[in-house]
Amino acid sequence: MLCEKCGVNNATTHIRTVVKGVVCDKYLCFSCATSEGFKSKELSQIMSALLGEESNNQNSKIARCACCGSTVAEIAKSGKCGCSECYNTFYDQLLPYLKKSQFGKTRHDGKLIQKIKRIQQSKEEEIEELKYLLKKSVLEENYEKAAVIRDKIKELKEET
Amino acid sequence: MGYWFQPNNQCDIAISSRIRLARNIKGVPFPFKMNAEQIKQINHQVRDAIANSDNSLAKKLKYIEMENIPEIERFAMVERHIISKNFALNYQNRAIIISDDESICIMLCEEDHIRIQVLESGLQLKKAYETANAIDNILCDSLDIAFDERLGFLTECTTNLGTGLRASVMLHLPLFEANGGIKKYITNITRMGFTIRGMYGEGTKPLASIYQLSNQITLGITEKEAIEKTTKVAQQFIESEKEYRNQLDTLRIEDRCMRSYGVLKNARVLTSDELMSRMGDIMIGISLGIIKNIRYPMAIFVSAQPYMLMRKYGEMSPESRDIERATMIRSLL
Repeated sequence: MLCEKCGVNNATTHIRTVVKGVVCDKYLCFSCATSEGFKSKELSQIMSALLGEESNNQNSKIARCACCGSTVAEIAKSGKCGCSECYNTFYDQLLPYLKKSQFGKTRHDGKLIQKIKRIQQSKEEEIEELKYLLKKSVLEENYEKAAVIRDKIKELKEET
Repeated sequence: MGYWFQPNNQCDIAISSRIRLARNIKGVPFPFKMNAEQIKQINHQVRDAIANSDNSLAKKLKYIEMENIPEIERFAMVERHIISKNFALNYQNRAIIISDDESICIMLCEEDHIRIQVLESGLQLKKAYETANAIDNILCDSLDIAFDERLGFLTECTTNLGTGLRASVMLHLPLFEANGGIKKYITNITRMGFTIRGMYGEGTKPLASIYQLSNQITLGITEKEAIEKTTKVAQQFIESEKEYRNQLDTLRIEDRCMRSYGVLKNARVLTSDELMSRMGDIMIGISLGIIKNIRYPMAIFVSAQPYMLMRKYGEMSPESRDIERATMIRSLL
């Protein structure tokens, strides 16, 4: 297609203006578009500025592990986490990968380390204690107190 | 305990058992993201945890920096299954904690910060795990080990999460292999959460019909279950191999074993490949009671590996190695 204005060069710029709902399309060559005030340099500057800003935004939005700086994309690509903290930072995103590599399993069922064992034991002991208090509160017909204890037991059970 | 290739019992289909536990220190990048300084710090932390322990097992272990081990010995250690090939290649700043009989070896900063490995001869996964677990307890008590209630022990690769436990059994399956069994069962084995590979692990060809069976699932399974299941699958392989052996024509198998024995006893030049296949026959012969005068075929097998030979006789070309190998085997038989 030739330029609508000069009719000599090929049209390389498509300008669409909409004024009060009326659409007007112009097909111009580079020099005519420039003379009409549509400078390609400015356009490219605008585009790069837009893209640049967007990619900067994307960069700041990508979550990185605070300990080793890994991103989910890096982990997904290599199948390797950068450090143990990655599992905490990206737990939800990593879950589908774990499922895949572990035959659908996502919950540890093996050995517990002593420190965690101690915490769990103390939680279990606390639950037993609360169960006793719950029974007592019901017998005393103190239902408000019983409800509070019931919720506390539920909370502790969910944690363990 | 003792060298895995010098068993107390007779040589059989299950050659050795291996337990590996993967552990890491909390809040420190995994080895592939670590600098030399960080690696040294981890090495020293683990070294001190073992040195300060009162446990009798810990007293048997010694700390060795890999840079103090010559190249030939490093690769001879790979041939003895003590360290991984990757670890022998990337030995800079690395260290191991090892027992005298090499049945226990802790690799520091291999794929994970800590890799506890225990080797036993025969099918003894449970016994190997008990030892590995005792060492793990020492480390978990004194170090800040990366652990998550949901995901268990946290490891570099997601395939080790949870127990961090890999249970492997080295199996000699010549007749199972000859009957096309391995290929036939490989899909089923994978579906069940196991893998079967060559003698020297991932990506290696099976040598002398020796295979390594290991568990793949580490999450949502207890250590006991994983070990019991692996043992069970290994036992199924052993049973099938025995069945195939029983179906053999006695005279033909005797002929095959004695021919190989004859070659090994008289050869003047022996390549590694030929030794492997002949040793396979020798092992069947021992297992069926045809060959009675060889006690440790795996010890012969391992000592005839290229780096093991060079460790004993010094550096040499492959051709001289084949001559030296033949001489050594002749003297051993």
